Amino acid sequence: MADEPIDSALDIRLLAAAASAKRGRRGPEEEITELFEQWRGALLRYLSTFGLPPHDGEEIVQEVFLALYSHLRQDKARTNLRGWLFRVAHNLGLKRRIAERRANGVAADVDNLPHPALNPEEELASSQRQRRLSSILHALPEQDRRCLYLRAEGLRYREIAEVLGMSLGSISASLARSLARFQRADER
Amino acid sequence: MLSQSFHLSDQELLLWADGEVSSKRAAGIRRHLNGCWMCRARMTELEHAIGDFVQVYRRELDVKLPPVEGPRALLKARLAERAGATPAGAHRWFRQAGVAGAVAALLLVTAIAWRMVPHADRASLAGAIPNVNLTPGATNPIGIQDVCSASFSSNDPAVPDDLKREVWREYGLRDGAANAYEIDYLVTPQLGGATNIRNLWPQPSRHTVWNARVKDALEDRLRNMVCSGQIDLATAQREISRDWVAAYKKYFNSRFE
Repeated sequence: MADEPIDSALDIRLLAAAASAKRGRRGPEEEITELFEQWRGALLRYLSTFGLPPHDGEEIVQEVFLALYSHLRQDKARTNLRGWLFRVAHNLGLKRRIAERRANGVAADVDNLPHPALNPEEELASSQRQRRLSSILHALPEQDRRCLYLRAEGLRYREIAEVLGMSLGSISASLARSLARFQRADER
Repeated sequence: MLSQSFHLSDQELLLWADGEVSSKRAAGIRRHLNGCWMCRARMTELEHAIGDFVQVYRRELDVKLPPVEGPRALLKARLAERAGATPAGAHRWFRQAGVAGAVAALLLVTAIAWRMVPHADRASLAGAIPNVNLTPGATNPIGIQDVCSASFSSNDPAVPDDLKREVWREYGLRDGAANAYEIDYLVTPQLGGATNIRNLWPQPSRHTVWNARVKDALEDRLRNMVCSGQIDLATAQREISRDWVAAYKKYFNSRFE
């Protein structure tokens, strides 16, 4: 664990600075729209890991940016907007999944991440190693998998910890555990 | 002080690579790595493993995104609605401006709202819902097996040009309006909608909230619900032909007006 303050998201500081510089010329709606265009794809991809239909993901992304609008209008912290966006999307995604499963009579803790079957061409193109990694990934506990998903979206460990409500140590332990599993599979 | 007699843990290496250790500890780790092939090799393995995983993740989940225009337009409209509903810092401003200024501002805001709101409503819904007398919706006799069959085309069949011209004429539009509108099925053929003038109308294609892309999303949702047995086909056809905007709000749980 770090024992001094760490600046964990330089790119986010730059993003916030750029947005701040433009604020004098543009309304908050334009700023939100610009951020929406920048992050919609990544958030939709992350939300798809909750096994929600794409339209639900799209609706949640809308809710995320409406919440961001309220957040910014209240002059709340602008630092690390990326972590903030993923945290809100994560919470709304969980909430929506629980609601859908209740409606469909499925236990809320059952994880049904879509695991698309590969067609023959994809099978051919996919290296054995990638397929092995994919199998390991799908066998990981959900929280460990989420750490990896968020890392793949470029979040730093500190941001992942905030999104998932875990400590920095737990995040690094989770990643180390997952990577060790990958390694063990490679050695077989 | 770190010595080479023991090795760094994966956790330490990961946190160090992410800048999450103190500068003193980071210097110690760097010194250790300089002298330890094992830990350097392990760091490289970890980086490769993460890189491989990112490839798997992207490959499995890189969803083909629908165009951003529709969702962006919807977000803009919702933002505009919120901006109108709760002006930022209004309370603070009123306190500072004093009563006379506040009353004058209220009158001005009221006047603007009175003038603007009906226009905004008209603008957001203009053309989005067809004239029920001209386009009540028409369907073909079709069963749920057809709608939900994997071979059933998800693309609407092209509307013949002469039928399009009839629709333009019926709605009093010239062919030149084609840039701003697209002839759309009210009840989508995916739900049994017929290629019939009573089921076709010129729908604004862009720059409005309730546009063709938003309706496409509703159509996909209704078809999924029909095929999963949540609603029956007749209900889906009725809801979309009666008022598809109301149906969108209902099935997407959208509070946007």
